[in-house]
Amino acid sequence: MHIMEGFLPWQWCLVWWIIALPCLIIGIHQLKKVLGADREALPLLGVTGGFIFILSSLKLPSVTGSCSHPTGTGLSAISFGPWITAVVCAIVLLFQSLFLAHGGLSVLGANIVSMGIVGPLVGYGIYRLLRDTSVNIYITIFLVCALADLFTYVMTSLELALAYPAETGGIVSSFILFMGIFAITQIPLAIVEGVVLALVFKYIVALKPDILIRLKIFSEKQINAARSEI
Amino acid sequence: MAYKYTLEILAGIAIIAFCAVFLYTSATMSGAEFAGSDNVGSGLIAKLSGNPIENFQPLIWQWVPPSGEIESALFALQAAVGGILVGGVFGYWMGQKNKT
Repeated sequence: MHIMEGFLPWQWCLVWWIIALPCLIIGIHQLKKVLGADREALPLLGVTGGFIFILSSLKLPSVTGSCSHPTGTGLSAISFGPWITAVVCAIVLLFQSLFLAHGGLSVLGANIVSMGIVGPLVGYGIYRLLRDTSVNIYITIFLVCALADLFTYVMTSLELALAYPAETGGIVSSFILFMGIFAITQIPLAIVEGVVLALVFKYIVALKPDILIRLKIFSEKQINAARSEI
Repeated sequence: MAYKYTLEILAGIAIIAFCAVFLYTSATMSGAEFAGSDNVGSGLIAKLSGNPIENFQPLIWQWVPPSGEIESALFALQAAVGGILVGGVFGYWMGQKNKT
């Protein structure tokens, strides 16, 4: 899924780095604050970050005859917000660019913006929108995780379209072409990721409901309802 | 309690459906190579920019795994790190729950 090293002109690499860096700084600052206030948040960070590590290492075949991988950022976006998720993603993406030639240091900023910022930001927006409604929390989790995954690839398509507009039709037509490769491949993967992470959230609710209430991720009433529901 | 395993069943159905779609695609689609979407994307970049794919050289030097096997091993290592984190924490929570 990542933009590969050398495939983005240096001017664009710089633009995406300039956007990514402040978000990472905010994320590190927030991370210190959250962990300082409640050490019990650390295991939850481990689980949500762990899923980003696992899911982004799985290259899965999709309907379009190509392979791509899920991102796993939705759970972290719900639990800690998009900025802390950006920090976790930056670690994963750095590992992949240094040891796997998957992505690269110059395009790391662009990849952080798509996987670590825009995807989780969309997911977090949906979570905030649905949190205080009567929508079942597992449906909320499903939508957040699936759409955070999908929008990562929409953003990758946009980043590439901006750098490589088509001769006829410009950025829009190039965006549609890249969407055809990245986002369409991703739809079935995003659905599976949404369902699997909703299931993971069920286990977190069963094992450690108090941390979800303490971090104000969901209200006590919602968590209790979710525990009795499934 | 009748619906205790609803989510597990749904996840199972989603995974089985995903596998079925994959089997169908791989059997019927001609030219489906199941290459990474980033490789397919790189091909489109080369086409749009009118620059052959070989001309795209890393801007910053990059270590490339010497073989596909080593790359797979490193991907597995990444998944293992995640697996250890997830398993460790779930075990820790389970222990805490049993203690109280």
